[in-house]
Amino acid sequence: MFSRWNWVACGFYLVLSICSPDASGGLVQSCGHIIPESPVLALGSNFTALCILNESCLDFGNIYASQIIWKIKNRLVPKEQYREINRTVSSVTFNDTSSLATPLTCNILADGQIEQNIYGITVTVGLAPEKPKNLSCIVHQVSKLTYVMTCTWNPGRHTFLDTQFRLKYRWPEEVFPDCIPKDVNNSCTVTDIQFFVNTVIWVEATNALGKAESDPLVVDPIDIVKPLAPQNVSVSSEVLSTVLKLSWENSILDPVMKLKFNIRYRIVGDTNWMEIPSEDTASPRTSFSVQGLRPYTEYVFSIRCMKEDGVGYWSDWSEEESGITTEDQPSKGPPIWRIIDTSHLPAFWTVHLIWKALKPSEANGVILQYEVAVRDKSSLSSPVKKYNVTGTNHTLELREGTYEVTLIARNSAGASPPSVLLIPASNSKAPVKNLRTIPKHDKLWVGWTAPNSYVLKYVIEWCLVSSSSDCIIEWQIAHGDVQGIYLKGIKPFKCYLITVYPLYADGQGSGQSVKAYLKQDRPSKGPTVQTKKVGKAEAVLTWNHLTVEEQNGFIRNYTILYKTIDGNETVVTVDPSKTEYTLSSLTSDTLYTVRMMASTDNGSRTGPDFTFTTQKFGKGEIEAIVVPVCLAFLLIVLLGVLFCFNKRDLIKKHIWPIVPDPSKSNIAQWSPQVPAKHNFNSKDQMYPEGSFTDVSVVEIEADDKKSFSEQDLKPFDLLKKEKSTSEGHSSGIGGSSCMSSPRQSVSDSDEGETTQNTSSTVQYSTVVLNGYRDQTPVQVFSRSESTQPLLDSEERSEDHAGGADSTAQRQQYFRQNGGQDETNTDRPCFERAKQITHAHEGDLVGFVQLQISGQSSQPLGLVGMEKNTQEAAVSNVLQTCTEGQTVRPETVEENPLSVDEMPKSYLPQTVRQGGYMPQ
Amino acid sequence: MAAADSPSAALRRRDLCSRGIRLAGKMRADVVDLLDAYVEQQGLDASASVAAVEGVPLAAVERWDEQTGTQRLLENLAAYRAFRALLAQMLEEQREQLGEADAGLGRALAAVLLQVSAFAYHLEELLRLESRGIPGEEGDGPPPPPRLSLFEQKLRGLGVLRELAQWAVRSGRDLRQLAKPSPANGAAPGLAESP
Repeated sequence: MFSRWNWVACGFYLVLSICSPDASGGLVQSCGHIIPESPVLALGSNFTALCILNESCLDFGNIYASQIIWKIKNRLVPKEQYREINRTVSSVTFNDTSSLATPLTCNILADGQIEQNIYGITVTVGLAPEKPKNLSCIVHQVSKLTYVMTCTWNPGRHTFLDTQFRLKYRWPEEVFPDCIPKDVNNSCTVTDIQFFVNTVIWVEATNALGKAESDPLVVDPIDIVKPLAPQNVSVSSEVLSTVLKLSWENSILDPVMKLKFNIRYRIVGDTNWMEIPSEDTASPRTSFSVQGLRPYTEYVFSIRCMKEDGVGYWSDWSEEESGITTEDQPSKGPPIWRIIDTSHLPAFWTVHLIWKALKPSEANGVILQYEVAVRDKSSLSSPVKKYNVTGTNHTLELREGTYEVTLIARNSAGASPPSVLLIPASNSKAPVKNLRTIPKHDKLWVGWTAPNSYVLKYVIEWCLVSSSSDCIIEWQIAHGDVQGIYLKGIKPFKCYLITVYPLYADGQGSGQSVKAYLKQDRPSKGPTVQTKKVGKAEAVLTWNHLTVEEQNGFIRNYTILYKTIDGNETVVTVDPSKTEYTLSSLTSDTLYTVRMMASTDNGSRTGPDFTFTTQKFGKGEIEAIVVPVCLAFLLIVLLGVLFCFNKRDLIKKHIWPIVPDPSKSNIAQWSPQVPAKHNFNSKDQMYPEGSFTDVSVVEIEADDKKSFSEQDLKPFDLLKKEKSTSEGHSSGIGGSSCMSSPRQSVSDSDEGETTQNTSSTVQYSTVVLNGYRDQTPVQVFSRSESTQPLLDSEERSEDHAGGADSTAQRQQYFRQNGGQDETNTDRPCFERAKQITHAHEGDLVGFVQLQISGQSSQPLGLVGMEKNTQEAAVSNVLQTCTEGQTVRPETVEENPLSVDEMPKSYLPQTVRQGGYMPQ
Repeated sequence: MAAADSPSAALRRRDLCSRGIRLAGKMRADVVDLLDAYVEQQGLDASASVAAVEGVPLAAVERWDEQTGTQRLLENLAAYRAFRALLAQMLEEQREQLGEADAGLGRALAAVLLQVSAFAYHLEELLRLESRGIPGEEGDGPPPPPRLSLFEQKLRGLGVLRELAQWAVRSGRDLRQLAKPSPANGAAPGLAESP
């Protein structure tokens, strides 16, 4: 029980003791302390610390040195570095202080587990100061009597410690107060400076780890003075135009320092300074006359000083001060040239005299006026004409001849030497040779080879070539012994025309010209190409030259680039003088894209694309194809016609079977006595005009009758028989559409009938039945001259014929000829029969025209016509037919009217042989 | 004299003479400026006649050109040591009277005092080069000045500065004389320097 209370008491005491480690002199005493207390250690050195426990704590707290542990900033120090010196002292050793940190604490493990802090120290690690190096001092003059000395040095490495630097200086028997830098560690300024005594100056650096001194600098401060620059500098002109006097005040007293000077000067606007030779200003002074200056030129001066013996420092340059020299007479005459205009009057010149204003260095003042004197050298008696001009040009009207022009520039100080220009009647002298230009250093150099004769001088004219404005001439004069000059004011990428004239003592050479660029660039745009003519395999391209502003250089060549859409590009180089080029070997009917590129020495520029398509056929190719084709077609047609003509019988047989002559049929034996009423209108309505589709004309010549074979004629016989035996064959056929003209009818009736009778004649068709070969014979109606009335049966059939489509029900009209022979010989024209095939109304239907001509001299063809040309065709056919029969076409046109009227006045016709009488 | 014969000693002597001459010139200019400021600041008449200052050798001397170099150096040294003590006393009195009210005059006095000290140092160095012993300062120094009234202090200050100005002129001439080549004493070639 006692032991338990004892331990509690010890713990309480220990806590009280440890809680006040630094209160050794206070209420609570610490249980220990560390030696050394807050040391400053050299970086890299070794260090040993001791923790010493108080005796009082040993017995009461039962703590001993063996229980001590060391820590650096809460990091446990390895126990290998500990050493228990005795029961109250423990040491720790660090071989390198760079591993140390703050704080270093001594702790104890109470009761083997509880860590309690006993004491702690702050460790400062750093370096001793290095020896300051490179000490240097300069004495600045602040005012006329005030000097300060500023010394600078290299403080050396960083020490990590608070290091003080002191600048010390002393005389052998006088010690001055130290100069302590403020805020810096490498310079200090001393205000109490005494000259003419060697002063020892050094720097002392001190910190907790040591002290270091720089090497001493022994110097008389007067030898390191940088004086103030001379003040109140003024410049005044002298009588001489080449002298200016410079005056100033020195800021340093002569007893203190004797000075020497530097004087520099420059022309206003120039950046280069010139300097007076130093030996001329090596002695003390307060003024200096600068000589060798240009007249009437503004100069800027500046001055500086230093100790006469050259020991010390130059002052800064003084403020700049300027002055102008007085005027002098111009040093040379103005360069003069002329431009002669001969276009106004014949035998007279308009002479533009032009001259350049003198440079300031030549004018030596303000040019007040120019005096121009012109002397006609071709006439000794003519007086010298003088002109006073204030500008730089003068225009004269002179008769052609040789003149001498003299020009003088005048200022307030006098006149210039005269400039003389000889204007010969003609430039007959030798020109320069080998004129050339070379760009050099952003200037254009013009060179030439001198003529063999002695040349006084050369005149170089140049102007900017422009497509929009005239050439404004600039010029320059070069001395006769040079063979090249640099032109000024030449712009890059511009074309200049340069002309060089040699001037001789007794005349002038003709000018030689050359075009030049200072710099070339690629053209600003490419040529715009277009086609002038496009063929099957070639295309003529045209383009315009680029303007001189667009060229930016000499066009060395044009390049034509063309290609098809999917083809490779073809490149053609063209001479720059051309504006047209023919592309050949092109593919026909192909789209080509062409563009053009203009090239200078410095690059190229391509113009816009242009597309064109080559033609499918070449020139004359179409004609070469079409003409033969047409000829061949015509030939084929002709051959076809000839073939058809030769084979017309065969053709007839196939497409136009022989219609049997109804006059030979049995029906020819009867003749209706009473004309039957017949409604032709109904037929017209039934077969309106224009509803015919096919018109076939079968021409049967009388002579050809013989050529009919027996077999061909059989159907006629058969038809005759059939006609004679059966009326059914002759009935059911539509109305006659015989187109016999009324005149024909008249001519027919002229034999014994009156015209009135003729007009009342009923025209009947002749039914021609012909069976083609073994086929059923087609019923064809031939116009009949018969005036016999139709059979009642047929009339009745006619009455029922509207819209009938059966051939048996068709109305039939017959024309009965006098006989077979007469039929063959007397048929005046042709007889047209209509074979109506049933078709929709309005559709084209077949129209067969059969003509049987006695002469058969005129071939008739098979004509197919379209509906809209049918009427005209019919007319033509009729005309063709009637030519030989003196039948006028208009009579044909009247025929339908007569046909329409026919039902109104049917009269029986005279029965001839083969006719029939009304029953 | 042996030391004077060596080239380095000759250069040293020439250098000392040169600096001494220029220092004397600057000292005179500064003293003249100081005199103006002093008269104005102390309210004195610039033309006031002042009796010779006790303890200061007079600059004016008979048969000056007959003096030897050493003699010139010794007289100069004695004079400037006296001036050093007097100027230090003047500076002390100035601070007692004006405090920091006229720091400019005090700085000018201090500067002149420094120049006087520097010139005395030059003289001592030259005497060493002459292998002559340097007289002790205590024995040769002026006696302690008696207690004076304020006005008397001002007048004495005026007298000290005037005499110093004259001595500055004489010292320059003395050193220039010393710098001249002298076959008798084997001195180095004289300096062409002139104030």
